[in-house]
Amino acid sequence: MACDRYRLLLPALSDRQLGPLRRFLVSRHATHCTACAAELEELDAMRTALRTRLTYHRAPPGLAARIGSTLPREEASAAVAGPRRIMPAWGFAGSGLAGALAGVALTLVLLGGRPAGRDTALQGVIDSQIRARMADHLTDVLTSDQHTVKPWLSERLPVSPPVPELKDVGFPLVGGREDYVDGHPTAVVVYRHAKHVVNLYAWAAPAMADAGFRTSASQGFNVVSWRAGGIAYYAVSDCEADALMQFARDIAQAAPPDR
Amino acid sequence: MPHLDAAYNLARWLAGNAADAEDVVQEAYLRAFRYFDAWRGGNFRVWLLTIVRNSFMTWVKENRGSRLVFHPDAPTGDTADTEATAWSTPPRDPESLLLERIDSQTLARLMQRLPAEYREVLLLREVEDLSYKEIATVIDVPIGTVMSRLSRARLALRKLWDGAQPAEAANGV
Repeated sequence: MACDRYRLLLPALSDRQLGPLRRFLVSRHATHCTACAAELEELDAMRTALRTRLTYHRAPPGLAARIGSTLPREEASAAVAGPRRIMPAWGFAGSGLAGALAGVALTLVLLGGRPAGRDTALQGVIDSQIRARMADHLTDVLTSDQHTVKPWLSERLPVSPPVPELKDVGFPLVGGREDYVDGHPTAVVVYRHAKHVVNLYAWAAPAMADAGFRTSASQGFNVVSWRAGGIAYYAVSDCEADALMQFARDIAQAAPPDR
Repeated sequence: MPHLDAAYNLARWLAGNAADAEDVVQEAYLRAFRYFDAWRGGNFRVWLLTIVRNSFMTWVKENRGSRLVFHPDAPTGDTADTEATAWSTPPRDPESLLLERIDSQTLARLMQRLPAEYREVLLLREVEDLSYKEIATVIDVPIGTVMSRLSRARLALRKLWDGAQPAEAANGV
């Protein structure tokens, strides 16, 4: 091969885009040809300059939130409320792109595989969440002390959900309240996650078998529900779906396996 | 948001300022969200950067009217000539070879003077570390075009750098 034909391949060599044979041939040529060696050096120098000196513009703080707020939540909740089977992708879309993308596989399995009927309990917890926010009545007992919230709830209600300390994993305890959801006297444990409120609803469901996590999204809220030990749980928040799922796992782990 | 920094950095370098970059990125994520079903697996970052790049193109059309930011590649014969000439007479002054001495401010200024089509291949290659094939996907051209455009982009940057140096030196002294 003539020198100028090797020279044409120098950028690809410098970019590490040559196959083994050509890489060998071109580098061997460059070790013998001073012009090509200099050319290669120059290419590498430019690479170094671009890689080390070119300003990397990180996304400004708040951009993620602004993007999140422009994503079409309405369509997502409509799809959840309506016949979900038609557009399974939208089912998780409501949970926000980040959550959706990060947890695609999991959520697809959870949602896509499980067509939901009309869920009055689901609607109930979301209504309760909205009511509480609107009335600014999040808690009856306002304390970050788990040993206050739990007895407070068990005094008033037939069930008392676990109230684990989750501050270290990003969910500080805010308090608790009692509510009435879908015909059930309901214990509500209130946590916070960054700027989001996370409500854990729990009511007695003694006749119901245990059930694994189910995720849904409606009216801008993510919901993870499950049943364990004769209690129906609903975790509801406008935080990201992934975070809420982690929260649900932490709660489920804290719950005694049998009661 | 996955790959938000990568998306923003590309948009910021293409659009040239923060406000427009944010618009482009917002639009890109909205599109990504809408067409998520169309993602066929593979490298999600490449897919997303493709959308960022296309959003930028749309933005250019809508906001800069007829002002041509992206110009089509020069006719092949012409290009070959230019390239052959340029490659056969590369600057051999060792001082001018030391591009790595360039400071980030000067480099940024020179990059902004490059046509957007050159800027984007340099960014995708050196900052995002995409392969020729991935770059070809993002900017939707054959691999051969990626290679020739990268070469011309580097040549153009080198020329700007050589031209800038005397001024820098004069300012410095």
